Amino acid sequence: MIQTLLRITTILALIALVGGLGRADVLRADDDRDGKRPPQTLPSGFESTDRLLRDVERAERAPLYSAWLVESSRFMDVPFGGFQPDKAGLNTTVNLPVNVGIIEGPDGKLTLYDSGWKQLAYIFDWNTSCCWKGIRDQMTAIGLDPAKVTRIVLGHAHWDHAGQLSEFPNAVIYIQKEELKQIDFFLHYPVDFNSGHIRAVNTVDPLTGAQVGPPEQACARTPVCGYPPQTVQEILGKVLSGKARIVDGRHEVAPGLVIHPAFRGHTYGSQLLQVNTARGQLVFGSDTYSSWTGIRDWLVAKIQQTDAVQQFLAYEKCYVLTSRLNSFNNCVAAHEPTAYTNAYPLTANWWNIPNGNCSRAAELILAPGKTTHVPASPNKTLCENRTKPPHTVSP
Amino acid sequence: MDVGRPAAETMMSRASGLLHLWMSPRTLVLGLLAVGLVGVLAFATTREMSRAVTPVPAPPPVRPTRPALSPVEETFIQALRPIHGDVQRSLMRTSLGQILYKTNDLSRAELKTRMEQALVIYGRAETGLRALEPPASLRNDHEIYLTAVRLLRESAVEAMKMFNDGREEHLLAAYPKSQEASDKIREVGGKFWPSEFPPN
Repeated sequence: MIQTLLRITTILALIALVGGLGRADVLRADDDRDGKRPPQTLPSGFESTDRLLRDVERAERAPLYSAWLVESSRFMDVPFGGFQPDKAGLNTTVNLPVNVGIIEGPDGKLTLYDSGWKQLAYIFDWNTSCCWKGIRDQMTAIGLDPAKVTRIVLGHAHWDHAGQLSEFPNAVIYIQKEELKQIDFFLHYPVDFNSGHIRAVNTVDPLTGAQVGPPEQACARTPVCGYPPQTVQEILGKVLSGKARIVDGRHEVAPGLVIHPAFRGHTYGSQLLQVNTARGQLVFGSDTYSSWTGIRDWLVAKIQQTDAVQQFLAYEKCYVLTSRLNSFNNCVAAHEPTAYTNAYPLTANWWNIPNGNCSRAAELILAPGKTTHVPASPNKTLCENRTKPPHTVSP
Repeated sequence: MDVGRPAAETMMSRASGLLHLWMSPRTLVLGLLAVGLVGVLAFATTREMSRAVTPVPAPPPVRPTRPALSPVEETFIQALRPIHGDVQRSLMRTSLGQILYKTNDLSRAELKTRMEQALVIYGRAETGLRALEPPASLRNDHEIYLTAVRLLRESAVEAMKMFNDGREEHLLAAYPKSQEASDKIREVGGKFWPSEFPPN
């Protein structure tokens, strides 16, 4: 009898030992303990699913926010494959909105997620663009007071998402330190082995003055491209005037309003914004979530600085944060072609902004007791205005 | 008739054996699996065929247009290009240098080095710009660019004062000029090199 018990105990001990050893060697993708994170992951850029779920629980005890989406401008006739490589075979073009999120807190103050663009020269030159309208005018036209904007969370600092900052002199911007450090890092990259390609601000080789790469690639393959000096200057203006919060990873802006890092999901310092609403957690993703259908169908965006794996992990963050309600339907995309239609259900409640140069707005969700901003008879006739705006020196 | 009976029995017996083999649980499961696989394959093939899209000609890539330039204009723009690259990179380095200095990620000495290097580059750019002979049609753009570089130099000189008296207010005082310069550079850059910063 004793012998049998000893045998059983020994076997159980061996099983426990083997199990423990096995566990010690396992590298879990959602383990945030030091030494357990996946390779090439900065500690500040990593969040385990457990931590994300804790943020959901915390946010659910916070106040509810209202949210809208407005179309800063629209890129027209973009080859589908240039937007999503998986769709290259379709040989069709798509029109891509450039979306800005507007979030209203319980105190009536507004937070922007991204700020669109205002570099009129770009619109003039990229004459396939349409529908640009200044964000202040757009907000006024849909019944929101631009003077109430106190925060601007920049999903990333590319020029089409971080423009118009000087339009809100009193607003504090939130940007990841990693976003700024990576531009600086690549600006100083050695030129010995790559002819300056890596550190090119533009398409010009710093050594020879020649065009870098095939013209159709323009600067899309260089890490610094996408940040014209003009845009970085606007960020500098905010920093020097004490209106910038340079954050490092996760950051709670206010109860129910949480920044989550998405490093290399699009750029090195991309960040998401979790917003507590009556339809669950909304997650704004800028270009990390360039396409909502991309999140739904697990499609990667076009190659730039985007690391496909990191983008998928950022998609996963949205799935986790929205797991209690609505799932991926609550992921807010920056350039989703089906935005402002029923095909992207979150934006189905849309209308043309009055005198908005064909730009559109969508009411995503209202906090309880809030009045809708959708007109009684919303104009939903899709229009395009490709007229070139004045070519001025204004930013 | 009797002759045929054993043969018939043998056949019956074989058939029964085959049926037994056929009906064995293992064979049944394997058979069902095979039928299932064929079904899935058929469904997938039909679905793929029904989803096939009619190929259409590839759309032209999105590319900005620029009015046709004369050879003289083209030569001028080509000559401006390396200057433009240097100026933009210097402006970026000093802008980011100031930001990273404010976040304690860059020392004062490192920022000073960047500003000094920028001053050298702006001086060189100004000399290079003055040496260019713009065609009459681009004289205004040339003037705008020259003004921008002058503003950058003045801005850097103002910022450098911080290293003498230690007052960071000089950075704020220097800012409006560098911002104005960056607007002007973007204006000219967008006109001469429209594909410089494509949509992201």
